[in-house]
Amino acid sequence: MEHTYQYSWIIPFVPLPVPMLIGVGLLLFPTATKNLRRIWAFPSIFLLSIVMIFSVDLSIQQINRSSIYQYIWSWTINNYFSFEFGHFIDPLTSIMSILITTVGILVLFYSDNYMSHDQGYLRFFAYMSFFNTSMLGLVTSSNLIQIYIFWELVGMCSYLLIGFWFTRPSAASACQKAFVTNRVGDFGLLLGILGIYWTTGSFEFRDLFEIFNNLIYNKEVHFLFVTLCAFLLFGGAVAKSAQFPLHVWLPDAMEGPTPISALIHAATMVAAGIFLVARLLPLFIAIPYIMNLISLIGIITVLLGATLALAQKDIKKGLAYSTMSQLGYMMLALGMGSYRAALFHLITHAYSKALLFLGSGSIIHSMEALVGYAPDKSQNMALMGGLRKHVPITKTAFLLGTLSLCGIPPLACFWSKDEILNDSWLYSPIFAIIASFTAGLTAFYMFRIYLLTFEGYLNVRFQNYSGKKGNSFYSISLWGKEEQKSIKKSFPLVALLKMNNNERERTSFFSKKTSRMDTHVTKKPFLTIFPFGPTKTFFYPHESDNTMLFSMLILVLFPLFVGAIGIPFNQEGNNLDILSKLLTPSINLLHPNSNHFFDWYEFLPNATFSVTITFFGIFIAAFLYKPFYSSFQNWNGLNLFTKRVNKSQRVLRDKIINLLYDWSYNRAYIDAFYALFLTQWIRGLAQLTHLFDRRVIDGITNGVGITSFFFGEGLKYVAGSRISFYLLVYLFYVLIFFFIGVTPIIIQFIRG
Amino acid sequence: MVRVYLAFTTNFFPWLTIIVVFPIATGFFIFFLPHRGNKVTRGYTIYICVLELLLTTYAFCYHFELDDPLIQLAEDYKWIDFFGFYWRLGVDGLSLGPILLTGFITTLATLAAWPVTRNSRLFYFLMLAMYSGQIGSFASRDLLLFFIMWEFELIPVYLLLSAWGGKKRLYSATKFILYTAGGSVFLLIGVLGIGLYGSNEPTLNLEILANRSYPVALEILFYIGFLIAFAVKSPIIPLHTWLPDTHGEAHYSTCMLLAGILLKMGAYGLVRINMELLPHAHSLFSPWLIIVGTMQIIYAALTSPGQRNLKKRIAYSSVSHMGFIIIGIGSITDTGLSGAILQIISHGFISAALFFLAGTSYDRIRHGYLDEMGGLAIPIPKIFTLFSILSMASLALPGMSGFVAELIVFFGIITSQKSFLIAKILIPFVMAIGMILTPIYSLSMLRQMFYGYKLFNGVNSYFFDSGPRELFVLISILLPVLGIGIYPDLVLSLSVDKVEAILSNFFIENFHE
Repeated sequence: MEHTYQYSWIIPFVPLPVPMLIGVGLLLFPTATKNLRRIWAFPSIFLLSIVMIFSVDLSIQQINRSSIYQYIWSWTINNYFSFEFGHFIDPLTSIMSILITTVGILVLFYSDNYMSHDQGYLRFFAYMSFFNTSMLGLVTSSNLIQIYIFWELVGMCSYLLIGFWFTRPSAASACQKAFVTNRVGDFGLLLGILGIYWTTGSFEFRDLFEIFNNLIYNKEVHFLFVTLCAFLLFGGAVAKSAQFPLHVWLPDAMEGPTPISALIHAATMVAAGIFLVARLLPLFIAIPYIMNLISLIGIITVLLGATLALAQKDIKKGLAYSTMSQLGYMMLALGMGSYRAALFHLITHAYSKALLFLGSGSIIHSMEALVGYAPDKSQNMALMGGLRKHVPITKTAFLLGTLSLCGIPPLACFWSKDEILNDSWLYSPIFAIIASFTAGLTAFYMFRIYLLTFEGYLNVRFQNYSGKKGNSFYSISLWGKEEQKSIKKSFPLVALLKMNNNERERTSFFSKKTSRMDTHVTKKPFLTIFPFGPTKTFFYPHESDNTMLFSMLILVLFPLFVGAIGIPFNQEGNNLDILSKLLTPSINLLHPNSNHFFDWYEFLPNATFSVTITFFGIFIAAFLYKPFYSSFQNWNGLNLFTKRVNKSQRVLRDKIINLLYDWSYNRAYIDAFYALFLTQWIRGLAQLTHLFDRRVIDGITNGVGITSFFFGEGLKYVAGSRISFYLLVYLFYVLIFFFIGVTPIIIQFIRG
Repeated sequence: MVRVYLAFTTNFFPWLTIIVVFPIATGFFIFFLPHRGNKVTRGYTIYICVLELLLTTYAFCYHFELDDPLIQLAEDYKWIDFFGFYWRLGVDGLSLGPILLTGFITTLATLAAWPVTRNSRLFYFLMLAMYSGQIGSFASRDLLLFFIMWEFELIPVYLLLSAWGGKKRLYSATKFILYTAGGSVFLLIGVLGIGLYGSNEPTLNLEILANRSYPVALEILFYIGFLIAFAVKSPIIPLHTWLPDTHGEAHYSTCMLLAGILLKMGAYGLVRINMELLPHAHSLFSPWLIIVGTMQIIYAALTSPGQRNLKKRIAYSSVSHMGFIIIGIGSITDTGLSGAILQIISHGFISAALFFLAGTSYDRIRHGYLDEMGGLAIPIPKIFTLFSILSMASLALPGMSGFVAELIVFFGIITSQKSFLIAKILIPFVMAIGMILTPIYSLSMLRQMFYGYKLFNGVNSYFFDSGPRELFVLISILLPVLGIGIYPDLVLSLSVDKVEAILSNFFIENFHE
């Protein structure tokens, strides 16, 4: 089927008409476009489905005979430089495009309901479709320039979507932070591309790898320079995938609507950095230092993300740090050279995390009706709890996602994470210990989120009287100081608007969303399976609408079954799993000879070990966060435990826990550090340059002007119409003209 | 009147003369139009502008061969006999783009000046006079004519600055005129020096002058003279301080002309005179130009966030982007020069649109300071959308023209054969730091203006979103920005042969050495 490949250039352009039409419509015919409203959601989902079918078809062909296709058109023709556009289809591309389209469709479907009351419904769909376009463009790019172009476009979409609710000051600063941080990465990427172009003279991946490896092999290039270039290229990936020094934007990016967090900041865009490193792995492999750096950055991010996720109050920020940590696993795998494991984890994590985010979106949606639309209330886990009874379907989906992410065996992430952990034992024991430890941490923080959200009783109802404050033991010390602050009744905006604190009225006004609600929006859900009446009592959170549940339920299937693509069935041949088939020419530094020979005897102890760690993490989480009133059976054990621990040990424990809490709450002080040094420094420098510009450079000019003015005025007084003075001036000018006349003669004299 | 003295030496239809003279000649009729508000005047002016733009486009479409690097549509009439002064016009690939840009931006600026009511007849006349002057200086093939046109369009700009605009407009207009007049002195010295050098009678024809060589010391002197004149206009640091003041005070349609076209005349002059006529000196000075350009990108991008005034912030971003043009010119490569020319065009569009947007939002909120704004996205969503898009264009988002121009300049630097290895590494590095600084100021500008929440009460509580006229202006600027960004050959193909012709001078000389 050559044709499929030939026409696959169309992949990124299929979803493009939607944002174009909506954009033009909103600018020129706003009311007419807004009246159409939901009609716009259909074409975007429909077009994306076409792309999905297309990419599934492509990857089936890739599985059958793995081959790489590339088509190129010239973009600018000049005698001295030419940029080309093309598309490049290989297993990596087909995997990524399936991932983007499947998650994309479900998220679009989901957000039809999630955003249905929002004023910016159409804007949202336009941005989303444009994001899909540019992300698909990114993965089908055939050269570095094209990658850079789509890389920036994806970043811009992320900027627009983080700042989607632009009336929130926090969203405004978050989107700027995200863009600028990503620009720091792009700075590296662009310079890396320039440097690579300079050494190899090509942008095309395959030419580039060939020339580059030849150059390295023949030692024709300066090694330091090449390392620098590779480092800069890697810098782009670090920023986009929220790796250690440039991860600060990702938790703030949670200011965007939750479907965005599911699609962009969990599944696809943040994976673009992994994609880039995977794409350029043949180049990085030639330089061992860079590979070591990649795995080092990966392991730092793994640990940092996990520790930061430990005590987040905001459910989405907790998930964001977890994303960061999981991306660190992928980066680690790439740095170790196990390409397959990294991609496997990329896929499984994307589906699991998308599910978790959609679940959290559903929770937030149900909480919003109760506590108002401010993100630090509706996303605050301290106010949740006991949602198990009220939102059972969401709870099931969320639990599945949590279990998958923790690495409980039959679910998807288990297989991929286990593979990474296995490989890390081969690579370096220290890294492996850290990675396994973090697997335990992962289980801990994921279950912490789950337990705080779904178990126990709804804390909103208890916050005013006794609540959980006097009752639960160790969760208090973790929440400790923050509890009072978060449940403060006087909310700044309320005070500002002089609203009375009546709960009901607050929910209706708070929200910039509801207050700007279109009156003639159809509020019916898209699918009507269970008739939920229009009478909504805001005493308990209610389950989300069916459209949202439907897409979540579909997405549940992926963590259940997607692990199967990487599980080898050992009956017939060596490697029967789909992923290995796709990635046959893949790179694997750690198993040079075995060719993915799958050994159950090697696999089982490792798997048992990692699952044990996971269960240990879950157990600790259950121990700490299981509220007592729902777990009387643990009462005795808890008492025994507290009895055995003596006083000093308990103080020490509290200290450690508080320390950990502070570390996590303050985001490891990295944000503060950046704010203190970089931001202040740039501001100071800007003020300094501004002053310099105004006082010195402009001052000189103005000084000259003023001096000449005074000189003229002075001259007026001096030259008080005296003949002798004019004669003097006359003589002076004659002298000047004389010199001017003489000068050419002198010049001629000099010239000989 | 003027043409009485012309003696026809060619039998072509004088397209360029008509294009140059038409706006100002018809502009005189404005004063004879009936006094009925400004409706008649502005209608007439727009009619003239559009006609002129169509005329230019027609002439270039049917009488200009793109693949010919030589001068076309040339006209050569003797004007003042004893001085050897000719009315010599011509167009080549280099001036084609700026002339079309002039027509486009001036037409839109006239449309943008719709709300001007105070003394509108003079205003529109001055716009038309500027139209003539700008096209004249881009199209002139005679050094003295170039100088005269250069000076000629200063007068309308000065009047436009001093009579319409903010409170401190007289100060800024005076500053502008003093700066540029100071620069013009050097330009005049250079023109006369080059014209009178060597032979008995003055030669001012650019084509003849391009093939002449001078002693090194003299060439350097000429070069410095021209450089100062063009550096004031471009502007190049440290001669840029007139620009923020002027742009901060001027009416926004004047700003569009200033930022869109006038600044480009400096860059155009650098290519046209410094590169073409004085190649030796240019290759000596080019490393310094690159260094100054790099410094300018960083310096202006750092100064910009310190500005409270919206228009001044955009003005500094203009200064920063002009750095790319200077680097492109200094790189002496085909790629770099193409990038510089592309940046001339692209920045013309983008900065004109940004100033227009700043002006229109100022009209609505009546605050010029960024820290007094906020929460504007709800009352004026269309302006917000377009402001966002054009700020993105200004920070070189791919798909927009600015990105292609800057990328090509980057490639120009790294493919440059002149510079050393370390310089090749360092200069793109520093330029790319500018790439980080640009979003800091432009996005924080957006954030301060539009994001957030603010209660509007009292007199300011109602705004009109942009109407069809403003939307038309913005969209007609946005379309070429997107077009060039997606298909840069649109502009690159105009100048590619000319660029090669200019640079062949340098390579021939290198070969001889």
